[in-house]
Amino acid sequence: MSSIKPHRTAALAGLLGAAVLAAGCATKTMAPTAGVTDEYLLTVTRPGQLQVMDMQAHAILRSCDIPGKFGSGSIAPSPDGRTAFVLSNMWEDVYGIDIETCEVVFSAIQSGGDIRVKTFQSVAVSVDGRELYTVQNPVRHLPDRLEVLQPQLAVYNIADGLNAQPARTFPVNRRITKIAATATGEVILGGADVEAIDPRTGATRVVTALANWDRGPLWLPPDAFAMHSQGEHVNEYIMPYVTARFESEEWDFDAAEWWWGFSRVDLATGRAEQMEIFPLEFIIFTMVSDPNDRNILYGAFNTVSRHDVAKKETLAVEPLDHTYYAINISGDGSKLFIGGAGNDISIHDSASLAKIGSIQLPGDMSTADLRVARIRR
Amino acid sequence: MIHDYSIRTIFGAGALVLAGALAAPPVAGAADGEALLRSYCLTCHTEQGAGSGGLSRINEMRKSPEGWHMTMNRMQNMHGLTMPPEDKRAVIKHLADTRGLAPAEAEPWRYLLEQDTNRVEDVAEPYAEMCARCHSGARFALQRRSAGEWALLVHTHMGQNPTLELHALSRDRPWMQLALDETAPALAADFPLDSAEWRAWQAAVKPELAGSWRLVGHVPGKGEFDARMTAEGSAADGYTLRVDGRYLDGSRLSGRGSATVYTGYEWRGTLELDGVPMRQVMAAAADGAEMQGRMFRRDARELGGELRAVREGATGQVIAALPGHLRRGETGIVTIVGSRLAGNVSLGAGVRVLEVLSRDADRVVVRARADGANGLREVRVGTARGAGMLAVYDRIARVEVLPHNAVARVGGPGDAQMEKVRVAYRAVAYAAGPDGEAGTDDDIRLGPVPVSWSIEPADDDAAEADDHVFAGSIDADGLFTPGDAGPNPKRSMSGGNTGRLAVVATVAGGAEPVEGRASLLVAAPDFVRRVLD
Ligand code: HEC
Ligand code: HEC
Repeated sequence: MSSIKPHRTAALAGLLGAAVLAAGCATKTMAPTAGVTDEYLLTVTRPGQLQVMDMQAHAILRSCDIPGKFGSGSIAPSPDGRTAFVLSNMWEDVYGIDIETCEVVFSAIQSGGDIRVKTFQSVAVSVDGRELYTVQNPVRHLPDRLEVLQPQLAVYNIADGLNAQPARTFPVNRRITKIAATATGEVILGGADVEAIDPRTGATRVVTALANWDRGPLWLPPDAFAMHSQGEHVNEYIMPYVTARFESEEWDFDAAEWWWGFSRVDLATGRAEQMEIFPLEFIIFTMVSDPNDRNILYGAFNTVSRHDVAKKETLAVEPLDHTYYAINISGDGSKLFIGGAGNDISIHDSASLAKIGSIQLPGDMSTADLRVARIRR
Repeated sequence: MIHDYSIRTIFGAGALVLAGALAAPPVAGAADGEALLRSYCLTCHTEQGAGSGGLSRINEMRKSPEGWHMTMNRMQNMHGLTMPPEDKRAVIKHLADTRGLAPAEAEPWRYLLEQDTNRVEDVAEPYAEMCARCHSGARFALQRRSAGEWALLVHTHMGQNPTLELHALSRDRPWMQLALDETAPALAADFPLDSAEWRAWQAAVKPELAGSWRLVGHVPGKGEFDARMTAEGSAADGYTLRVDGRYLDGSRLSGRGSATVYTGYEWRGTLELDGVPMRQVMAAAADGAEMQGRMFRRDARELGGELRAVREGATGQVIAALPGHLRRGETGIVTIVGSRLAGNVSLGAGVRVLEVLSRDADRVVVRARADGANGLREVRVGTARGAGMLAVYDRIARVEVLPHNAVARVGGPGDAQMEKVRVAYRAVAYAAGPDGEAGTDDDIRLGPVPVSWSIEPADDDAAEADDHVFAGSIDADGLFTPGDAGPNPKRSMSGGNTGRLAVVATVAGGAEPVEGRASLLVAAPDFVRRVLD
């Protein structure tokens, strides 16, 4: 069973972090400059703070308290970059937090009555900034039994503010994790297949068949899974997968060709490309595209790596200090930010992959996202 | 993605905390058990089917005592049931007695009840990935349920552990749908609520287990022993125990404790054996003549060995010969263990008893010389016989290291939360049978033999990482102790003292030394404590 073990270094880092945090609050303020776009790196740390970070200075600008217990720390920035919608309270509640004032401007308490709702990372905001989407996995707690109910897409009006109730719900498939809104008004649902749902009608369509792909017996059905997806800088959504092509129906696992692949959805159009992208040589937990050349991908887990999708090659790989889950990139494509799992963000030069800095955080990020909010001034 | 890539075929995990409670007898005359259930359970459960006598859910399943214990823990820890420990014991006893497993139903899965967790399970295909990747396959094989209850169990799993369907080996399939549409019906067919065995066992007269027993067993670090255990009946299948005996080297052992019998045959004892708290888990035979199982340390269930109890009767009995083997052409000492032993001693064809070194009604120690063909001999004392108890052999052809596959866990100083999980190894020798080849079906089992123990890296990768240097060490008795928990700065990737090893037992003796091997995984601590794996 997968379980998240306590990090041994958490206590020590907590102490260091406290100092960083205090310094950050006392001295740094966001300096608004008209006509430019400011980028802020967002993550969530235990016991429950949204960390707003300066991507130039590699420092915490502000730490906002998030209501509820920790978990999961999935984040969806609003399109104007000013609000971060954070999944909190053990994967149950969503809080909208103004990243400049720390004010809680929105909340959706999803559980109620005898129904307990969990959301597995699935939080997205519509392109017009008006609607919030979550995928709810409800369980009814009866006095002597539990009853697992059909998951549903819940649509909230962000203008409803605190204690918002869903305006609409539509049934969806099980095991959906990351979701994203398209400019065409759909919501991409990352599950066994990549699907899209129309949040006005509930109509769904398959964007990329993965679990249900039809590539003949020699291709292993893909293991597709996304706990993070951070394509905001290029308006895309990536669902990575692992597959293998066998030589014959002898199913020789050692002789098979093992591949990473992805379904990459263009959020402007809702159309996706799906392909094998480079050989499986090590584990990658999240991938981001290079904003200057979408043919180039970066990945992170125990290593940081650069890949060429057209050539189907790994170009470079460097070890990381420990395991990280999430990777993101600055808007100009120069710097990689690698976080999640522990309590530091490792910063790398995207050309050389060399480590060029880090941000110590006051707590563990665990499953939290690492996302970039862009505010036009 | 292959993030959590460990398929758990071996399960060797967390310590037992509460399980000891099962051995303390519940209070006498525990009011009518059903009344007790109703008084505690009806807050949430209902008097449902008039035919089945009500009690929603509770009447739709049968489990081992430990299975009921786990369920009661969940009622308390997750649903807010409160009851004093003595009532909890009484409820578990009543549930196991009235909604338990027949001996034949539990038989194939007793290793789990015996907490013998270092083994690779052979779980049937439909269940291996669906059900036996988080816990033992015996956990559900030790339950019987109606079809509806197997389905509700799937709902309980998903409700309690909602991310289950996102794990590797779940997300590659529509897990919930498969579990409801395929696995639950298969379970209902393989492990049904209603069975002929259970009906027969409910109707059967249960064996009386009070009285005097001869015990033979093994304690890691001490070796084989024999003892007398007296069980004095108190109330409600509860017994007071006295154990007195000696190890093969002549040193004494003694213990006092208590036992409770569940479902008419499930013996659960706890005792202080020379100051060390131990547990006994045995199953009584239907005629009450014998019990068989395992005894282990209460604080370290991995440190234990087999335990057999034979009821003493009016006539003589031979129970064991220790050691159970003599080499051809050599003179050795054999201890015959039994009850009411009197009369001439014979060790079978070709084995000459040279001298009786000592004897009483429980034990006869002889010096003997073996000749004749390889094979098993009958041991006799007067009219008492023990068929096949002594093996005569020419040379040790192979050594089996037990357990074959084990998991040790780092712990201790670096990580105050969890004790180290050790592994107690034994080497069992075999001689070649009539076909002259070792490793075939006709091999003759000689029993445990002294060996010299060592560890090696499991393969080139493990050697490269110096696993044999960091992961732990093995002592002369075959006790493997893993390294300390926590990061070890001497190792790469700030890794801890985990590793993969081969455990090697070497017997000198013959022309060439004979080696036996087993594989050992030294893993990170397991923070979850379970009543049953
Ligand atoms: C406070 C409420 C509550 C009380 C009191 C309670 N239960 Fe339960 N019980 C539940 C709930 C909720 C479930 C379903 C979830 C689960 O299985 O954990 C359940 C499930 C069960 C199950 C099914 C478990 C399985 O393995 O599928 C059994 C059996 C059971 N209870 C026995 C009992 C018994 C016996 C008592 C009284 C000694 C009792 N319960 C008292 C709430 C309660
Ligand atoms: C994701 C890991 C996981 C999988 C897969 C899983 N289990 Fe479990 N199972 C658990 C855990 C954790 C518990 C302990 C529940 C508790 O707290 O008592 C449990 C408990 C149980 C119990 C004991 C419940 C009781 O109170 O008697 C049974 C029986 C069981 N599982 C059967 C199954 C079966 C059958 C399947 C396949 C359909 C299955 N499990 C699949 C994790 C798992």
